[in-house]
Amino acid sequence: MPGYPILRLIQVGFRSLRLHKLRSALTMLGMIIGVWAVILLVAIGEGASREAQEAIKALGAQNVIIRSIKPISDKVQLQGEMQWEAIYGLKNSDAVRIEKTIPGVKRVLPILKHRKNVTHEQRDKDCQLIGTFPHYPEFTQSRLIAGQFLNEMEEARKENACVLSMGLAGFLFPGKNPLGQEVVVRGRESQQIFRVKGILEEGADSDKLPQQADATGHTILANVYIPLSTFKALYGIKDIDRSVGSVSVNTVELSEIRVEFGSVDEVVPALPLIREALDKVRKDKVDYEIQVPINELNALKAQKARDTWLLMLIACISLLVGGIGIMNIMLATVTERTQEIGVRRALGATQIDISVQFLIETLILCLIGGTIGVLGGCGNAAFFHYILDHTTIVTEWSVVAAFGLAVGVGLTFGLYPAWSAARLDPIEALRHA
Amino acid sequence: MAYRNIIEIRNLTKVYDLGAIQVPALKGLNFEIEEGSYTAIMGPSGSGKSTLLNILGCLDRPTAGAYILGNDDVAHMADKELSGVRGARIGFIFQSYNLIQQLNVIENIHVPLFYQGKDISDYYDHCEKLAQKVGLGDRLGHRPMELSGGQQQRVAVARSLVNEPLMLLADEPTGNLDSTTEQEILDILDELHAEGRTLVVVTHDDAVAERANRIIHLKDGQVDKDIRKQDSDRKSENHYQEA
Repeated sequence: MPGYPILRLIQVGFRSLRLHKLRSALTMLGMIIGVWAVILLVAIGEGASREAQEAIKALGAQNVIIRSIKPISDKVQLQGEMQWEAIYGLKNSDAVRIEKTIPGVKRVLPILKHRKNVTHEQRDKDCQLIGTFPHYPEFTQSRLIAGQFLNEMEEARKENACVLSMGLAGFLFPGKNPLGQEVVVRGRESQQIFRVKGILEEGADSDKLPQQADATGHTILANVYIPLSTFKALYGIKDIDRSVGSVSVNTVELSEIRVEFGSVDEVVPALPLIREALDKVRKDKVDYEIQVPINELNALKAQKARDTWLLMLIACISLLVGGIGIMNIMLATVTERTQEIGVRRALGATQIDISVQFLIETLILCLIGGTIGVLGGCGNAAFFHYILDHTTIVTEWSVVAAFGLAVGVGLTFGLYPAWSAARLDPIEALRHA
Repeated sequence: MAYRNIIEIRNLTKVYDLGAIQVPALKGLNFEIEEGSYTAIMGPSGSGKSTLLNILGCLDRPTAGAYILGNDDVAHMADKELSGVRGARIGFIFQSYNLIQQLNVIENIHVPLFYQGKDISDYYDHCEKLAQKVGLGDRLGHRPMELSGGQQQRVAVARSLVNEPLMLLADEPTGNLDSTTEQEILDILDELHAEGRTLVVVTHDDAVAERANRIIHLKDGQVDKDIRKQDSDRKSENHYQEA
């Protein structure tokens, strides 16, 4: 190929396209819509997936959560016809065994939860009383916003210290500093006074269960954290539920055991060992479930990958349609400009020169269309994100892929018209009116 | 004064293969064209005039025979080489001007150089001089649509000169023009001839042919008559002086 200035060729290409502005614009439309759609759809999908991933990550990818569940038909009748007790679930010994015997385990966090009612002066609220260890905040990526969390000494001495979740603190102590104040936590069997020593803002967590709206229509996360030893000493492990005409007691030593591994890679291989350690002391009774955030994360990622492929497929189809539109127009252009091709050939243009000229015109259409599509897609995603408050994330790869596909389609579908222009017989072409 | 031959045609034949039948268009032509000559090729329809034009213009290849242009036999060159020959050695002037619509005057003049890999910025002055030569020095930025037929043909003449060709090849250069404009263009061609350029004009118009100093008449694919005139006899020159 002669070393003619390619910039000049591009400049002339632009000018040829400008001769038919509307036609060029309509031709680009297919490309614009295709690229626009890819970027916007991927951004929406990515936004939704990122939110879910963040939530799961907050549980800790290197963590495993073991929960007590009530096995089917495991009631033991107590004295009297309408009293039942079910004894099941995780035990302290399970937590100790896991920490001691499973390789890779860094530490475990036992948690015991009962539903109670918390009051301060005139205000009261249903809450979840959580007995746990001092390292709870680190484990759950919660943030202490005032005061301190529970410490080892309080655990050892079974002190009546508590930490409130932020919403609850705001509800019980409107306009007041809750630190050092007292709250009353009432269960069915006992009623205890706790001194507030800290306020905790929970991270995204499985504890963020939907809360019932209060009288003013607000839902707040109402958790009261106390030392596990205090919990057991003051309330015991029996959770008593009195319904009309019957009493059922759930005796559960630990509601939850959270296990933290040193690294994410150690989680999955350790799962069978955890099951083995738990099942060894149970007689075919399944009274726990294991939640593995890393597995959920991976499942979500796999789902995401499938969705992405689907989107790419749709995108490819729309770009294909755009490409065919471009090819169609370029073929018409070649026919229309047959005489020009003849003249250029007579003036010394080789077949390659002619192909390159038309290929460049096609590429210009695709590049401009692609650029507008990228800008439109990004702008549209930004509009969703900032104006409509719908999380979207424009990923670099989607921009690169969409743009690359547009150019690829342009090259592919530009080749045939370019070739058909080049192979025209100069004499016939010159004679073409 | 001894002129070297710019063109030598030897036993040139062209047969159109239409599948079932073979149509001979040129049946063994022989002639030379000297440097600096002004030759008109005439002949009725079907005489092989257009076929010869296409071959002389390196747009088509003969079936047999030799066509020496400059020092090379271009008769059987490949398409790519022929493109190079067209771009470097031949200056085309067409009946319908054939300017490129999206380019302005100066850019149209530059086109043959473009395909030689020469950038317009390096040859702008050269192109501008040619535009001035054909009287369009004040129209450099105009597009073909903004010019009259005569002006467009002047641009085409300037374009044909831009690559300093061995030969100017004109195909009915005044066919689309009125008589006044026709004279203007023919005067320019005379001027080019006077400068020593080699001109070959294919025409059926006697008025055009009269300007030439040699007329080759074709008939049925063969040279019918080959008339050479003395330069002093040429009407054109008289006319030129009168004008």
